[in-house]
Amino acid sequence: MPDMHMRRNEGRKMATGATEAAIELRSTGESRNRSRGNPGTGDKEEVLLEVRGLKKYFPILGGLFRRPVGYARAVDGVDFYIRRGETLGLVGESGSGKTTAGMCILHLIEPTAGKIRFNRDGEFIEVNSRTVRSLRRSMQIIFQDPYSSLDPRMMVQDIIAEPLEAQGVRSRRERYERVEELLNAVGMSSQHMRRFPHEFSGGQRQRIGIARALALNPSLIVCDEPVSALDVSVQAQVLNLLDDLQERFGLTYLFIAHDLSVVQHVSDRVAVMYLGKIVEIADVEELFNNPRHPYTEALFSAIPVPDPDFQYKQIILEGDVPSPIDPPPGCNFHPRCRYARAICSKEEPVLREVGGDGHLAACHFADDLVLMGVWGPGIAQTG
Amino acid sequence: MVNYIIRRLLLLPLVIFGVTIMIFGLMQLLSPYQLVSTYIRSPEELRNQDLDALVKKYHLDDPFYIRYGRWLNNLAHGNLGWSESANMTVNEAIASRFPATLELVLFAVIPVVFGGILLGSFCAVHHNDPYDHAARIFAIVGWSLPDFVFGLIVLMFFYGVLGWFPPGRLSTWADQIVMSKAFIRYTGMNTVDAILNGNWAVFWDAIRHLIAPTITLAYLWWAFIMRITRSSMLDVFNKDYVTTARAKGLPESVVIKKHVRRNALIPVATVAGLMVLGLLGGVVIIESVFDYKGIGLLTATAAQQLDYPTVLGTTMFYGMLLVIINLVVDILYAFIDPRVRLE
Repeated sequence: MPDMHMRRNEGRKMATGATEAAIELRSTGESRNRSRGNPGTGDKEEVLLEVRGLKKYFPILGGLFRRPVGYARAVDGVDFYIRRGETLGLVGESGSGKTTAGMCILHLIEPTAGKIRFNRDGEFIEVNSRTVRSLRRSMQIIFQDPYSSLDPRMMVQDIIAEPLEAQGVRSRRERYERVEELLNAVGMSSQHMRRFPHEFSGGQRQRIGIARALALNPSLIVCDEPVSALDVSVQAQVLNLLDDLQERFGLTYLFIAHDLSVVQHVSDRVAVMYLGKIVEIADVEELFNNPRHPYTEALFSAIPVPDPDFQYKQIILEGDVPSPIDPPPGCNFHPRCRYARAICSKEEPVLREVGGDGHLAACHFADDLVLMGVWGPGIAQTG
Repeated sequence: MVNYIIRRLLLLPLVIFGVTIMIFGLMQLLSPYQLVSTYIRSPEELRNQDLDALVKKYHLDDPFYIRYGRWLNNLAHGNLGWSESANMTVNEAIASRFPATLELVLFAVIPVVFGGILLGSFCAVHHNDPYDHAARIFAIVGWSLPDFVFGLIVLMFFYGVLGWFPPGRLSTWADQIVMSKAFIRYTGMNTVDAILNGNWAVFWDAIRHLIAPTITLAYLWWAFIMRITRSSMLDVFNKDYVTTARAKGLPESVVIKKHVRRNALIPVATVAGLMVLGLLGGVVIIESVFDYKGIGLLTATAAQQLDYPTVLGTTMFYGMLLVIINLVVDILYAFIDPRVRLE
């Protein structure tokens, strides 16, 4: 057994391929814990963003008069916080509500319920439709698709300068000077200012998107799958860039992704979403070593290992993700869970502290199950 | 760019050749004795004339290629033949009638394009509201009504019942002023000439005659532009760059005007080009309904009287317009959409 886990560990190191190799050029192989050793980002325990009971239900219209006949519960009661200077990874399958959650935080989608509070200079401001425009300079977003997220009719300089204009930077020269500065910061040159988005590659366009997000000196950036539309080699460059910028400007990231290897490398803490709910949240190493939710375990077992001789038991989840319109009773995950018991279909588990050090999981049996982490079985067995 | 324009203009002779050979081909369906009817004005004339002599005189029994060759030769000398129906040369007929049609189309295009875009974007912003539904019903009615039916309704109501907007181009008194030596015809368009001559009475009279055909022509195309703008805007609303614009902290009105509408106008521009062509075609019927003496009515009358030199001349003229308008749209397109390069 230990041998196998060792090999699995090695495999994981190789699995991330180019991404990892590129990142390892700058940091050592171990998972980073930047929030703890990051200079200039202030108190590591200072909460920057707090989300309480966030819900987003999309109405399903039907019938002759297009009345709501049901609701799709894209985000169904999510609580978490992000500390200043850290990166919180948010993972989950397609349709788990991670992008919707990110959009709700920025009020790009109006949430159905819940409180989002943002810490601006020590003062917590509730994010709502009244405050959101003034908070735009503090919270920004990088989109998944670099091709559709830039207005095709605007020159790069105008795309990047527009937020400055919207926030009252009157002088055109000042704006363009800032654009030059930003383009340099993301590794592009000011020669690119007067070109249109279609003249750039995907990676370059994503850099433009990042420059745009940085224009107002935000403290929080929601990265909505920022590299999943890019080639692997370009992914590494963009991830490194995000890393550099975080250090340079003391940024805080909410990093939404479905690629676990990417999440592992960028995150300080990771939250796992399933069907609109957070099922587990913990520090990155703790989560990857010692998952406490069966869904997290299943996710990890799906990480491919590039070793043809390597034999391991993959946990294949049966069936599809249930419809968010009519989620299963009790624990959302019970129909697909190989550990499910009678209680799972009756009672909904709450997200509760397991282990310590802020490790939360929403499973009735979180304390009892022995689950496989990326590097082997959890502490429940060894300890 | 210049190369592109030249290359496109080289297509012009090809289009004209195609159009004219088609019209000539259609005329082959008529016997020389049917064609000769162009030159006969009354039943008495028909009784007294020697038809064979007329056929000989106008060379109507020559083979197809000889007649076509002769026509092309005349065309090369700038001579389109004699229009029996207009009682002047075809060149003169087109030159005198086209400004009237252009005036009508210009009057229709401006409200159609601006009104259609504004209403379309209003509908897109109020997507699925009662306003949106009302505007869409209004549009679908316009799009479904045949123009001659709607034209007759307009004529009946505004002229027959209310007596506000008479048919024709000008009242008799205004026509006399326009025809007089003192009135200088700069453009042939009554409204413009009236302004240039400083004659406001004629100007208002010309406007009064333009309103009814403009309404008719505009209603149909208004619906068209509105629907295209609406669906194109709804499409753009879902684009990430609109969300980006909101994330930048722009007010919603700026997001709509600067990011959504401008991008949504790209397909509208293409359609607007087609629309101008459609308007020019539509005038054949509208001008007939309102007895508006433009190139459309000229074509319609000529076709009824088998006046083939006129039909040939006007269709060739239409072909030319088609090529030129398409070219203008393509050039405009490159200005609207930076992704388009003319090569």
